[in-house]
Amino acid sequence: MWMWDQWKKGFDVWEDATARYLDQVLQSPIVLGPAGKALNVAMRAKAQADKAMAQQWAAIGLPTRRDQERTLHAVNQLHSRIADLEEQIQAARASAAAPAKTAN
Amino acid sequence: MNSQNGARWRNLVGLASRPRPVVAATPADVLYAENKWRLLRYRSTSRRFATPILLVPSLINRHYVLDLMPGKSFVEFLIGCGHDVLIIDWGTPTAEDRFVTFDDVCGQWLGRAIRKAAALSPRNQTHVLGYCMGGTLAAAHVAVHKEHVASLVALAAPVRFGAPGLLTSWTRAPDFDVTLLTEALGLVPWQLLQSAFQMLRPTLGMAKVVNLYDRAWNDRFLDGFLALETWANDNVSLPGAFFRTWIEAVYREDALLRGNLTLQGQPVDLAAIECPTLAVVFEQDSIAPAADCAALLEKISSPDKGLEVVQGSHVGGVTSREASKTLWPLLSAWWAARDAAPQQRAEPNAAPQQAAAAPAAPHKTRVARSKAGA
Repeated sequence: MWMWDQWKKGFDVWEDATARYLDQVLQSPIVLGPAGKALNVAMRAKAQADKAMAQQWAAIGLPTRRDQERTLHAVNQLHSRIADLEEQIQAARASAAAPAKTAN
Repeated sequence: MNSQNGARWRNLVGLASRPRPVVAATPADVLYAENKWRLLRYRSTSRRFATPILLVPSLINRHYVLDLMPGKSFVEFLIGCGHDVLIIDWGTPTAEDRFVTFDDVCGQWLGRAIRKAAALSPRNQTHVLGYCMGGTLAAAHVAVHKEHVASLVALAAPVRFGAPGLLTSWTRAPDFDVTLLTEALGLVPWQLLQSAFQMLRPTLGMAKVVNLYDRAWNDRFLDGFLALETWANDNVSLPGAFFRTWIEAVYREDALLRGNLTLQGQPVDLAAIECPTLAVVFEQDSIAPAADCAALLEKISSPDKGLEVVQGSHVGGVTSREASKTLWPLLSAWWAARDAAPQQRAEPNAAPQQAAAAPAAPHKTRVARSKAGA
């Protein structure tokens, strides 16, 4: 067990030092710049591919994926709005009932 | 020593087939549901306090970090103390939620959860605890809508985002085009978010393996480890529109601290927070540095505000056995002291005084330095 304890102490020191070093590396513009650019290239390619696919769907008169997402989101927004109105009705009812209770 | 070694190897060999601990086991009812999010109210037969507690977790991770497993659950502890506990489960967004905005989450949804929780109380108010991103959202919300909030606990919740660090460097990198990312992907995939958090300390995986070997003889440790790993690998993608505001306004412009953030068309001024507020920060927190979380107290105008500096990391500080002995009782006592007149509710099947033996305030001062009125 003594050997394990010694090894673990050494590992902890190495782990801490390596983490600090990697912290510097991962903040370096030399790493961040190319990584950001690579991500942007991948995202542009994905956007182009999606656009081409959407045009295919639109050409045959079908709703695109984005159209469907917008519609579903609109339904969710309506649900939310109805919940707002329900809350307002409940609040109005409660405030209308409150003076009546007080009067009693 | 030999028996420890035997148990260690037995546990390591059987690790793959070891039954996984049950996570999120505390029974709860769905009080309200909208889109993908739900408001859960934990079942209790011994509620002693008039003001409920609403827990607001991060959107990135699952809510059950606060209800990890039986015996290691903050929620279970609070219920045992007699609190009425609710939590927001943000759910799993799907493709159409790419349009969900910061206003939807922080204004609309959080507001509704707070109002629903407050309606359970005679004083029509609720305590709010926000953890991590949930705390940042809660602070922003309370700054604009304070009517139903009895108190605010910001648990490892950053409000300042300009301090040097990896997350700041990455989010502010000129080559990181967040609009392009969210336009292309819709939802920001959890894999991207998880790897970003793993890169905060890339050696953590190896350290975990070594620590696992070191303590594998301990069944209790092993169950806790597996539960935490289950949670840590159960991540959620973020709505693109929300993420854009989070990165551009909150991270890049530091808009929350500077007062430039708007919520549903209204300016978010942290100075408008007047309710009792407690900021809990962790000394070894690499995700939400202590100073960035404590900055909340410099901005708010509440006369009743406090700072607790706690030993621990971002997650371990909340879920560890140490937390169950120090932080959890401290929070329970803090809420108990700010409750309206305690009441005995006439609830069916109530077990009277069952929670009376639960600790009211006995926190050990290993929670480290505590500065009242910081």
